[in-house]
Amino acid sequence: MRFYLSCLTIILGIFLCQGQNKQLLYNVRGLPQSLLNNPGANVNFDGHIGVPLFSKFHISAGSSGVNLFDIFDESKPDVNRKVSSAIRRLTRNDYFTLHQQLEVLSFGWRLKNGQYLSAGVYQEMDMFAYFPKDPALLVNEGNNAYLNEPFDFSDVSFTGEIMTVYHLGINKKINNKLTIGARGKLYSGIFNVASTNNSGKFITRDDPNTPNFYRHFAENIDVRVNTSGYASLNNTGRTVQESTRDLLKRSFFGGNVGVGADIGATYNLEDNFRITASILDIGIMYQQHDVENYLYYGDYETDGIEPLFPDVAPTDNTIPYWDLFEDEVDRNLKDETLNENYTTWRPVKFNAAIEFGFEEMFEICDYRRTYKRRNYNLIGVHLFGVKRPRTMNYALTAYYDRKFSNTFRAKISYTVDDFSYYNVGLLVSKKIKKFNFYLAADNLAGYLNLAKSQSASIQFGMQFIFKK
Amino acid sequence: MSFVKLLKTPILLLLFSVVLHSCVKGVDLDQTEEIALTPDLQVSLLVFDVTNVDFKDQESGAFTPIIRDTVRLEFLDDSYIQDDLVTVEFSFKYTNSFPQPFRNKISFLSENDRVQRSVSFDIAEGNKDNPAITDWIEFIENERIDVIKKSIKMVVEIEVLPNQNPFDGELKFESKGLFSFEF
Repeated sequence: MRFYLSCLTIILGIFLCQGQNKQLLYNVRGLPQSLLNNPGANVNFDGHIGVPLFSKFHISAGSSGVNLFDIFDESKPDVNRKVSSAIRRLTRNDYFTLHQQLEVLSFGWRLKNGQYLSAGVYQEMDMFAYFPKDPALLVNEGNNAYLNEPFDFSDVSFTGEIMTVYHLGINKKINNKLTIGARGKLYSGIFNVASTNNSGKFITRDDPNTPNFYRHFAENIDVRVNTSGYASLNNTGRTVQESTRDLLKRSFFGGNVGVGADIGATYNLEDNFRITASILDIGIMYQQHDVENYLYYGDYETDGIEPLFPDVAPTDNTIPYWDLFEDEVDRNLKDETLNENYTTWRPVKFNAAIEFGFEEMFEICDYRRTYKRRNYNLIGVHLFGVKRPRTMNYALTAYYDRKFSNTFRAKISYTVDDFSYYNVGLLVSKKIKKFNFYLAADNLAGYLNLAKSQSASIQFGMQFIFKK
Repeated sequence: MSFVKLLKTPILLLLFSVVLHSCVKGVDLDQTEEIALTPDLQVSLLVFDVTNVDFKDQESGAFTPIIRDTVRLEFLDDSYIQDDLVTVEFSFKYTNSFPQPFRNKISFLSENDRVQRSVSFDIAEGNKDNPAITDWIEFIENERIDVIKKSIKMVVEIEVLPNQNPFDGELKFESKGLFSFEF
């Protein structure tokens, strides 16, 4: 049991970290992965190739309203009181998110015309769920303390997807001031689940004008859960080998497909003063294979079952009140499973930053290279946003990026977002000849006790970076 | 070597040590075994409204002093009742505008029609201008809850207690159950 709890702790620990924001990698132009955050980044290398499966691993997650300590604080033994307290405290706009990326292949090279091409394959998982406040209250406390108050099923809103992304990007320096870039993406869907735009309310009223103590209302119920890639995995008759083969097939366009694009730009206001921006994953997925939709919809209200006295019908048979009641409920509140294709939009993200450099670097004079003014120190402000079912979620970061030498740099960031006001992150990047390794972690204070953390993330990668 | 270059090693060490020495403190994960959902659900049960017409035999039209009806409550056999029901509080309410009192009996029967629980009480007489209200609360908890878990039918039986007043009026019945669970 302790083993499972330890696993739970680690998983929750991971959960209690931050969402999709990759502020530590953004604007780190010495790293090829910065091109994935801004295809218009002003990169200063001429080629790269990532170590397959190790060029980038990123995992981040978040819980905007609760952490492990809130529930399992050892000094407060009544766990159910803590659970109830957390459920009451959380709002319908609190959310949980889990994001993971694993780069399988990554490479890039500079063309003779100066443009930089980059391409690769990565696997991505993105799970997002708003806290279903009202359904959680109903399940945990029931309707007794909430008479005449609606339980709103629009609180149920979640999305999840696992996919492989194939991408090709181009980065072009227009002039000394402007660099632009774009990346085309093909998505190969492995799994998708989406349940957004739900509606409906359940209310128990104690209206004195109704014939019984209470009248129960299910109003405008319209709940839909779309899935793709789930029904076949749920088929218990399949072997692990068959399922694995199927998952691999889906990774290579054997399942659902989609297209998307990233765009970005860097504009140098001065040699040491620039603004950068990017929009990522402007993309759509067509869910057409292995699709199953679960629908619950309708309206119904009841005061209870009304016996007619006497208890036999004119045919002398007992009146099946319960069956009649169930039939009436089924006629009015429908439960269907369909196989309708659907489309999903990728969670589009944007980045925008303003950056100022100081303490100019002096490079070795080489007549074959264009002299590029660079700075040892960079400070900047970075705004990140990601579109979620109800709204955009934002994070604002201030950072200091220090290049200690040509082979070592570090970046420290302070981020304010829905998870924390105390998020300090650190990135280090170390180069040994052509080989480069980086490690970045968010919310360092949270690592001291993950139980109290609502925000942390970790990413690392290794690749070969070439400069002429 | 400048001061900032001296910072390289501490920064690397800091990042690696923080990440590698992350831990979870001050929590007792054994508490997961104690987590239980404990909803209290208010559920309307039976509701009816009878008049003197209902006390006439359907075929002969003759006055019959006792009427009864049986309703199956299939949900009492569901797993969440069988496994997780802790207490139940039934509330019954009669509003009587007949000038006669009634004797009322509410029974919970098993599939084999064995009485598991029976509640009897008298319904006070009233009049059309001022109906009499009779409330009854039946609380069943812990060791006695099995009587509900074994039940599947609810029988309501009403017997009029005649007097010299004309038999004319309306008898309304309301009922609900407050089901408390521990999942």
